[in-house]
Amino acid sequence: MRAIKIQKIILLTILSLVAMVYLGPFIFSVIVSFSDNKNLINQPGQIVNSGWTLRNYIYIWKDLPFATWLFNSVIITVCQTITNVFFSALAGFTFAKLEFRGKNLIFGAMMASLMIPGIILIIPKFMLINELRMINSYPGLILPGMVSVVNIFLMKQFFETMPKDLEKAALIDGCNYFQMFWKVFIPNSKPALAAVAIYTFQGTWNEFLWPLIATNTGEMFTLPVGMASLRYELLTDWPAIMAGTILVSIPTLLIFVIFQRYFVQGIASTGGKE
Amino acid sequence: MVSGDELNIKMKKNNSTKKEQQFWAYTFLFFPLMLLTIFLFIPILFSFIISFFDWELMAAHQKFAGLNNYVEIFRDKIFYKAMLNTVLYTIGVVPIQTMLALFLAFVMNQKIRGRSFFRTAFYIPAVTSSVVTSIIFVAIYSKEGLLNSLLGNLGIQANDWLTNPKTALISIMMLNIWTTSGYFMVSFLAGLQNIPDSLYEAAKLEGATQRQQFWHITVPMVRPVTYFVVVMSLIGCFQVFDQVFVMSDGGPNNATTTMSYYVYQNGFRYFRLGYGAAAAIVLAGIIMTVTVIQKKYFPPNPY
Amino acid sequence: MVKNTLKYILLASSLALITSCVKDKANTIRFSSWQSNPSEKRLTDSLLHCFVIRYPEYKVKFELIPGNYSEKIQLMLGTHSAPQVFYIKDFVAPSYLRYDVLQPLDEYIDKDTTFDKDDFYPQFLNAFTKNGKIYGLPKDFGCFVLFYNEDMFKATGLSDPPKDWAELEEFSRKLTKDTNGDGKIDQYGIVIEPSIDKLIPFVFQNMGSFQDKDGNLTLNTPEFQGALEYYYGLYKKNIAIIPSEVSMNNTEEVFGRKRAAMVISGGWFVPQLKDQYKDVNYKVAYLPKGKQMATIAFTVSYSSPKENPLKEESWKLLSYLTGKEGMKVWTSTGIAMPTRKSVAAQLDYINHPEYKFFMGSVDFAKIFQVDYNERWYSITQSAMQAIFYEKADIPQKLKQMENDIKSLRIKN
Repeated sequence: MRAIKIQKIILLTILSLVAMVYLGPFIFSVIVSFSDNKNLINQPGQIVNSGWTLRNYIYIWKDLPFATWLFNSVIITVCQTITNVFFSALAGFTFAKLEFRGKNLIFGAMMASLMIPGIILIIPKFMLINELRMINSYPGLILPGMVSVVNIFLMKQFFETMPKDLEKAALIDGCNYFQMFWKVFIPNSKPALAAVAIYTFQGTWNEFLWPLIATNTGEMFTLPVGMASLRYELLTDWPAIMAGTILVSIPTLLIFVIFQRYFVQGIASTGGKE
Repeated sequence: MVSGDELNIKMKKNNSTKKEQQFWAYTFLFFPLMLLTIFLFIPILFSFIISFFDWELMAAHQKFAGLNNYVEIFRDKIFYKAMLNTVLYTIGVVPIQTMLALFLAFVMNQKIRGRSFFRTAFYIPAVTSSVVTSIIFVAIYSKEGLLNSLLGNLGIQANDWLTNPKTALISIMMLNIWTTSGYFMVSFLAGLQNIPDSLYEAAKLEGATQRQQFWHITVPMVRPVTYFVVVMSLIGCFQVFDQVFVMSDGGPNNATTTMSYYVYQNGFRYFRLGYGAAAAIVLAGIIMTVTVIQKKYFPPNPY
Repeated sequence: MVKNTLKYILLASSLALITSCVKDKANTIRFSSWQSNPSEKRLTDSLLHCFVIRYPEYKVKFELIPGNYSEKIQLMLGTHSAPQVFYIKDFVAPSYLRYDVLQPLDEYIDKDTTFDKDDFYPQFLNAFTKNGKIYGLPKDFGCFVLFYNEDMFKATGLSDPPKDWAELEEFSRKLTKDTNGDGKIDQYGIVIEPSIDKLIPFVFQNMGSFQDKDGNLTLNTPEFQGALEYYYGLYKKNIAIIPSEVSMNNTEEVFGRKRAAMVISGGWFVPQLKDQYKDVNYKVAYLPKGKQMATIAFTVSYSSPKENPLKEESWKLLSYLTGKEGMKVWTSTGIAMPTRKSVAAQLDYINHPEYKFFMGSVDFAKIFQVDYNERWYSITQSAMQAIFYEKADIPQKLKQMENDIKSLRIKN
């Protein structure tokens, strides 16, 4: 009994140390964001001497167009997350469970497209959106990211781990493939869907390069672009910069905390597995 | 024993389901593929085409250059330096990141006190935008920054991690592992949910230790996800850009110039889009080769 | 299936609706600049406001470009979506002039009798001139001068700034000291950085140059090498510090936080000193003389794209901003120096205790532009970093630099 207890304590200690490494920089930036010492970031030892203030957060929220940027980020991210979850599940299911002509070719092309560094695609995408007159507008920011190969790939791999009996059972019950998808596979894929939701939300929320290029005016900036536009305004006002970046990070963190409960549920014993 | 009648029914079902499958497949894929074609495949095609031109964005007419861009790439010292950096980066990061992510997910899947807290803690680096973590780490890696303070307590001499050509790349690698191990932990966690508890229970009854359970149950069962993580990891490493852009601008002396950064530099900073596109295509070719080799020796579905 | 199709149609039509609502007003002049400090932004806003009051029939939209300005402008010029008026830095002007994307302004200048182009200091206008045509109007200028900490000088028994290279070295040596007795040097004579931008004034002072009149490289010359060896020598002799070694981002910060007694910087540093480093008792002086007096001047132009539906309107804005009235408003705050002789005379900057060093430098200030593809900058940066961080051999690096940059010549 005691041996197991000691093992548990050791494990917890190791985990806590590792967690410290992971959390350390983040905690440091939180501390800096509440500090009124602008040089704290270069002199971490000064923590004990510095004062605390909410000033930085108030400044970010009130004096800067933070609310506008937040609104834009929310709209774009929510849209893209919903479409990604739906379409990647649909497409992932298609590649995992259906046979059709051109399947390998299309999937191969999609995987190949992942190899191209995204940087170089920015220009042609800009030209396209420009032709469609969607620069500096919501469609221009949302459309290109509505579907992503990575998410389709993830869902495909996930569906492939699901037992084949589910499929057979559904067919025997007389389902067509859409019903099978919607009524059988989706309900059992909550962990993977949660993963896609988290990845997409985070990816879109933090996206910098495309919103930077595709917007012209401050009203259309998303949060990362807005924060970047303050680089000279804030210069070395590290506490304010940290406050801003932490505010920007909070939503993605919340999404993770909310969705992670899906990782706790395992697949209850499904019919036919045992 | 399958009777003749049952076989006939099965065959009929197979034939009709084939057409049915095709119908549904095309229906399901219509919208996503259309979007992908417009915003992904067409831009890729565009990049491929301009790689054969001396394509400069502001020029009135573009000159056809044939294979000149490609030839020039293979003659460029910095291209090889970028390739070397990228390879080193990938070899260092991918294995560590994957194993760490799987290990963390495995541990997080156990019933441990404070599990939710730890899970969130490990994921936090992944949550913050890379631009932000890069800024934080520039401060931490600097000569009077946090890292040196901590190391100083252990008696290790202070070093300017990012301006020392020998440590610059490793510093960025550490940063990447720190950020993305939690990110991939999420994928593994999702995959781990699919492993039935009964397998673990049966193993425990037969006296298997945690370690044996990990290697003989978890690792094999989670293989498709591992494949996903390794591939995404490889691709991510080969395309590493953000951190270099913010932290070191490819320096010092090209010590941190990665292939993606090389593409950016030449395509944007030097106004030579055609050349940048050619570099991107070459990079894609290299990644593709590596992935194909990896698929051969590490297939996702051996069963 | 039907449900899906309907969904698609709905989505497409709503998208079309949204797009049609987001349209810019057709005759609004779009004006762009890069990120700058808040006081400069406020001044820009008020200047544009003055313009709109003066000419109420025009509307101006100020589109600030965050991030990498040059790349965005390039992209917009290449896709015919550029703003009507925008900034161009003198340093990158050759890259834009290489292409036929900017509007030549001569016909407008000649038609406008009040514009008076001869009022400009020649080198600033020339920075944006190609083949006799003017493509940009310089809005202001700055140049490198020497900032020094008067308190540190007095404490070391020095009353005047260094006049030449010998004094610069001697003073730096005297000013480098351990101020708190802990055995480590906390104050350095001067702060420099391993970049070509800060080196090039020394090269000019040493009668050297980056390229000659015909555009051939002159890096592998005794003059260039001499300047580089002097410059690096300051660091090697431990009387000059570089920012990364004290965990700071730039030379201005090192000076502002009192780790160095001297720094080479420009007018842009003054607002920062007044704002952030109020306790630094600074003074301005000409750069020390090498074999001759020389410094680098920086200017920014307002330019217009060739593809422009609002040419007349753009000219109105351009001519206002760089006209005698607009320039006076802009430069009267001292944010930068006027490029017009008449405005400089009006503001009497030549007699201003601080600004006189900027105005006085005009006589020997050069604009630094090169005729090579932008990659030359990375090559020199790598070389400088190798010299400073890896103690690379200077003559060898110079030869290598010249070799590598030679092939990047921009063909005209």
